[in-house]
Amino acid sequence: MNYFKILYNGLVKENPTFVLLLGMCPTLGTTSSAVNGMSMGLATMAVLIASNLIISLIKNLVPDMVRIPSYIVVIASLVTLLQMFMQAYTPEVYKALGLFIPLIVVNCVILGRAEAFAAKHGPGESIFDGIGIGLGFTIALTMLGAIRELLGTGRIFGAELYSETYGMLVFVLAPGAFIALGYLIAIVKKTMKI
Amino acid sequence: MKPIISLSPHVHGGDTVQRNMYGVCIALLPALLASIYFFGLGSAVVMLTSVAACVFFEWSITKFILRSQRLTICDGSAILTGLLLGFNLPSNLPLWIIIIGAFVAIAIGKLTFGGLGTNPFNPALVGRVFLLISFPVQMTSWPVSGQYGYVDVETAATPLSIMKEAIKTADPTAAMNKLSELPSALDMLIGQTGGSLGEVSALMLLLGCCYMLCRKIITWHIPVSIIGTVFILSGIMYLCDPYHYANPIYVVLSGGLMLGACFMATDYVTSPMTGKGQIIYGVSIGVLTVLIRNFGSYPEGMSFAILIMNGFTPLINTYVKPKRFGEVKK
Amino acid sequence: MKKLQSTLPNMLLVLTLIAVVAAVALAYVNSITKDPIKENERIALAEGIDAVLNVKGAVVEQTDTIKDEKGKVASIIYHTDNGVAVQAVDHKAFGGDLVVLVGFADDGSIKGYTILETHETPGLGEKAGKWFQADGKGSIIGKQAGSLTVSKDGGDVDAITASTITSRAFLRAVNAAYQTYSEQTMEAIPCE
Repeated sequence: MNYFKILYNGLVKENPTFVLLLGMCPTLGTTSSAVNGMSMGLATMAVLIASNLIISLIKNLVPDMVRIPSYIVVIASLVTLLQMFMQAYTPEVYKALGLFIPLIVVNCVILGRAEAFAAKHGPGESIFDGIGIGLGFTIALTMLGAIRELLGTGRIFGAELYSETYGMLVFVLAPGAFIALGYLIAIVKKTMKI
Repeated sequence: MKPIISLSPHVHGGDTVQRNMYGVCIALLPALLASIYFFGLGSAVVMLTSVAACVFFEWSITKFILRSQRLTICDGSAILTGLLLGFNLPSNLPLWIIIIGAFVAIAIGKLTFGGLGTNPFNPALVGRVFLLISFPVQMTSWPVSGQYGYVDVETAATPLSIMKEAIKTADPTAAMNKLSELPSALDMLIGQTGGSLGEVSALMLLLGCCYMLCRKIITWHIPVSIIGTVFILSGIMYLCDPYHYANPIYVVLSGGLMLGACFMATDYVTSPMTGKGQIIYGVSIGVLTVLIRNFGSYPEGMSFAILIMNGFTPLINTYVKPKRFGEVKK
Repeated sequence: MKKLQSTLPNMLLVLTLIAVVAAVALAYVNSITKDPIKENERIALAEGIDAVLNVKGAVVEQTDTIKDEKGKVASIIYHTDNGVAVQAVDHKAFGGDLVVLVGFADDGSIKGYTILETHETPGLGEKAGKWFQADGKGSIIGKQAGSLTVSKDGGDVDAITASTITSRAFLRAVNAAYQTYSEQTMEAIPCE
């Protein structure tokens, strides 16, 4: 399988948010602004690449009956490492994402890719799958965050487009996340014909 | 003679969507007149904008985005949504907010789900709750009735916010004093109080409700079960702690309870089909309303309660089915 | 390499191995990030204190914690070289607890405040973080705390539009902070 195809597969054909509908909790919870959505996407991507790599390396070492607990231990350790690093070196991002960083452990995208891809492919392909899926996730979260930020506060990446008085607060809150995600999926599916 | 073969039903009651929709519109007329009497120009501006915007969005979306051949604006449902949405708004709301509300009601609340008959939530309430969460300041400063201007009007605390403040006041005597600021029950029945356009006059709403009952547009189950539940529950709270909780008569007359119970919760599409189901639905709305009003973070819980139970309607319909003719219960 | 069989010794060995490697990695990273994390927390608190005291680089000299009857933290007093900052709480705000940090000048007037914890309604009571600042509509900066009330109750502070309950709770918390402040500073002055 060539690497470009794997990347394209993660970005478009099996986009975790628009096609697989995996990892909905961070998708809805952290996308109150474009920057938050992007940080969450990048954090997930980092864990995903690392976990894909490690799991593809140890896949023959792990007996089938204990593979899920082993994968979970690997993923949970990676997330805890990421959490400590973020808390230490990027405290602002950590404060904004807060509770959702530990929740990357239970993000179905990561365990899903470990089971569906990394456990069956070599390390190189697994890294590219991690990049593709991770980028797809990041792009989707950034788009959703940008839409919510624009409609909710009149800003995009913090730059003001119109006055905040006209912003619809509901889009910054959870109900707006559901509404925006629903329409975003509909529009993406319609335009990309997937 | 050649026999005519056609599918059942063979006898038609003469009921049509139009007949029912315009029937509800007629039932809303007394309350509409009352709102114009109490809020004057503001009421007329808000109502007209809301109805016109709803009809316009229904027409433009079905024509240009859905490219449907059927014109649905003639069935009266968009007019009704516009009226109900307008009834839920304060008389000094800026026009652009009303237009956003109408767009949300028609586009998100109704046409996204396939239009009249397939929308799971009451479109007018979707619009109202969207506006309430999006523009809380504008949507919770209610003008006092008896002022006829549109924009520059004095606002005051509604009976609902007075009740909420009384609950939040720790000291019993202070809470009691707060409750004594409530207008008299007669004023609240007629509509001499602050609030949204359509919710102030309980009397006129009841009149419209009686008309709908006589014409068999709705049945008694939903309004009676909602109002009864709220009355009994808030009565129990009042008896337990009369310092903090208001008299149940006030609770029933205040806010959007009458409007919601008679006109919003009884929407055909979003309420259960059987009498038994409607009573379960009504009682649940009543319980949720009392809970949200007393313990939630917004003063009014009626619209949230109806929307939540709209979501449960398919479930109620599944479990409370009428027995088929000839069916033997196992 | 052939895949390992699911026999009991194999499974035990692999799981133990993975857990040990993970534990070692975590312990190592924890040891290198422990100090920066502590430093960040200290900086966050110091920035909060600086903001409410309107100074730069205030040094906390003494911290006193006062608990209520139930053993919960009621208020924390930070004595600095540049004034006193007091953290106080009100439990009867619209959404539950409202925790504020208030800085006081030597004459007991308010130098600044910040909200540490809030569960108020978004768009309404949540505005308290900006509303009462010096450039907000209901500024309390420079006012004498102790008996601040909203204009509706006869005071001189403008309440947040459509959020009287939050405004009252906020002022109660500020007054409580002042109460603690005055009690503490009275004790600190030796009797002559």
